[in-house]
Amino acid sequence: MADLSHYAFVAALTALVASLALTLLGAIDLRGLRSLSFATAPPAPTASAAMPGNSRQAAGRYSTILIVNAVVFLSASLALRAVESGHGPFSNMYEFSLAFAWGALVIYLYFEYRYHFRTLALFVVPVALALLGYATTVPDEIRPLVPALQNNLLLTVHVLVAVVAYGAFTVAFGAGVLYLVQRKNTVRWLPANTVLDEIGYKAVVVGFPMLALVLILGAIWAEIAWGSYWTWDPKETAALFTWLVYGGYLHARVMRGWRGDRSAIFLIVGFGATLFTYFGNLFFGGLHSYA
Amino acid sequence: MTISDRSVPTMRTARSWRPGDLASPLWHALASLRLALTLIVTLAVLVFAGTLLDQAPPSVVSDPVAYEQWLGDAGAKYGAWAGTFDRLQLFNVFHSFYFRAVLGLLSTSIVVCTVSRWRGIWKTVFHTRVRATETFLTHARYNARIDTTMPAPETAERIRKSLSGAHYRVTSEGSAGSVALFADKNRLSRFGTFLTHLSLVLILVGAMAGGIWGFEDPRFTVAEGSTRELGLGTPLSVRLDEFADDYHADGSPRDYRGEVTLFDEGQPVKTSVLRVNSPVRYKGVAFHLSFFGQAAVMSVRDGSGREIFSGGVPLALQTRDGQRPVGSFDLPEQNLSVYVIGPRPGAADDRIRAGEVRMELYRDSVRVVSPVILSLREPMAVEGLTFTFEQESRFAGLKVVKDPGMNIIWVACAFMVAGLVMLFYLPRRRLWALCVERSDGGSEVLVGMPAQRDLSLTEEFDRLKARLARALELEPAHNESEGDLHG
Repeated sequence: MADLSHYAFVAALTALVASLALTLLGAIDLRGLRSLSFATAPPAPTASAAMPGNSRQAAGRYSTILIVNAVVFLSASLALRAVESGHGPFSNMYEFSLAFAWGALVIYLYFEYRYHFRTLALFVVPVALALLGYATTVPDEIRPLVPALQNNLLLTVHVLVAVVAYGAFTVAFGAGVLYLVQRKNTVRWLPANTVLDEIGYKAVVVGFPMLALVLILGAIWAEIAWGSYWTWDPKETAALFTWLVYGGYLHARVMRGWRGDRSAIFLIVGFGATLFTYFGNLFFGGLHSYA
Repeated sequence: MTISDRSVPTMRTARSWRPGDLASPLWHALASLRLALTLIVTLAVLVFAGTLLDQAPPSVVSDPVAYEQWLGDAGAKYGAWAGTFDRLQLFNVFHSFYFRAVLGLLSTSIVVCTVSRWRGIWKTVFHTRVRATETFLTHARYNARIDTTMPAPETAERIRKSLSGAHYRVTSEGSAGSVALFADKNRLSRFGTFLTHLSLVLILVGAMAGGIWGFEDPRFTVAEGSTRELGLGTPLSVRLDEFADDYHADGSPRDYRGEVTLFDEGQPVKTSVLRVNSPVRYKGVAFHLSFFGQAAVMSVRDGSGREIFSGGVPLALQTRDGQRPVGSFDLPEQNLSVYVIGPRPGAADDRIRAGEVRMELYRDSVRVVSPVILSLREPMAVEGLTFTFEQESRFAGLKVVKDPGMNIIWVACAFMVAGLVMLFYLPRRRLWALCVERSDGGSEVLVGMPAQRDLSLTEEFDRLKARLARALELEPAHNESEGDLHG
């Protein structure tokens, strides 16, 4: 079962690499198309121009299909580990990395479906790939849960909600960066900055309440296991920091003079905070040392 | 997103209500979004600092000697900066005066914001004007004009039914020639803001309540077979009936469990098995299994052979060199403190071997006799008393907490979740319509939805327009909606 899980992991990794390659090819193709149309001034060619456009669309479609595949394989990999270990597949950095990548891709797919907009994959897929790459460097053997983690319900819900929140923040990050690229609405191959702003906001609307829930579930669990709902442990303070940054974003976004660029910067800082929270336990210790 | 401010002022959401008497600059400053954002960012920066820098544990902070030692270790890590960080209270950020000041200011700001916005929001939620002006409708962010051949009352009735079908709450007013409608959905959504913000204040209230009326003993130890009074003003005591720890083949822990019996005023009231994830609770006091270690069962007899002490001594502390576990008990009649030191765990110990303990006697903090080594079940006479190391045993370390603020915290958390759901997942939608009868017997309908400052309503408005067109058996004749998606 652990072997099967590993094969599914490798399949997901492969699908993502291929998807990223296709997305990049599509982007290059697009550039070629534009320079072509600049070079040949009269916008006459019909058949010849249609070809690259079609192939670009095809590349985009296939890259989406590959991402769907990666999600399916990652789900399988995590599910197999859950079956093998008998608990939610969230007990160490290997499993948590897979789950984070899974969350980012699922939320990405939702936003792609909702806004028919694939360029975000340029940010989300590399993040997911980096997480999977990182997963290959940490121990992946299935080990029994230490007593503090022996609470299957809370383990599963607390971490599942966390990866959804982190995934949403990854998408928001992509939207924030693209917003800054598109701040003057001068880039033709991107949607209007209002759309990018809305995508970023919608992603935070998913992530912010989820992160609140992560903190609350963590507090409930800490009270049960450690006797105190809040201990200023580094992992929880890092999560609180992240939550505050997105809280700042939500307030900045409705303020005159802070809309647009400045709130987009919050999205980028917020993603930095998310990564800090995610990797923090590796260097600051504390109670939350397992993942 | 571009926010349209073109809607007519009379119909705009009252964003800030200025209470006449209180309209001082201070009130305004506290109610401002700018201050709120500044405070959130400041708090974030402080939390970040507290995450990055090692924080001295509360037990260390409360003990000047321990803190000096801790600071020494911190100096090794942070070098010359350690002194500065210490002066800035950066090793205890979350209990520093400035952290508390920011929290206090933020709470004040939240309360002031709530009070100053309450009436305005209450008004827009419960006392919305049904009749919108034509100017408002034609200038609304999302607007449409529909011409029908039906008379105004019938048109209005069809619109009402159609919008009700879309889960809108519709009210209408007007005469035969001109009917105004107002429709909204999730009208309580804005109160989610209050719920969320007040939950933050409530969390602080809960934390303060816990600090004032609660107590905690993070290191309450009790040895197997022994009973200890909890103290802390309670009539409770705890007996550890049994402690067990299991390990997997690779040495990682599988399970720790301690069976305890609780006594209330000497009467046994509860027996349960404690695990890391299952504490026992009695009358608001929670007992959490937190750590464990070696204990030594000791007995002491006086010259006449009378037993003056018998029980397990948890070796829960460390000797000064950090090498060996140590515990102590008192013999009040003799005015003696007895320290029991166990062998070094894990490695071979040439001074205290397995099955031995070393014993030191102190009177008024002065060592009485030179230390002695006790072997298992071999009585030894010291200072006219007979000491016996009866057997090796274990102790359980419990964290004992009473926190009456905790229920407030959980209620606040529920408010937080409910508020966020209302605010973000059940957003309010408002639509105004005006049906005016034309001279030819048909009517003209103006429909408008004002911009929502947080997100685009294009899709919702298109959906509603399509519904209305179906209800009125036609396609919208005139469409002025500005889509801002894919623009």
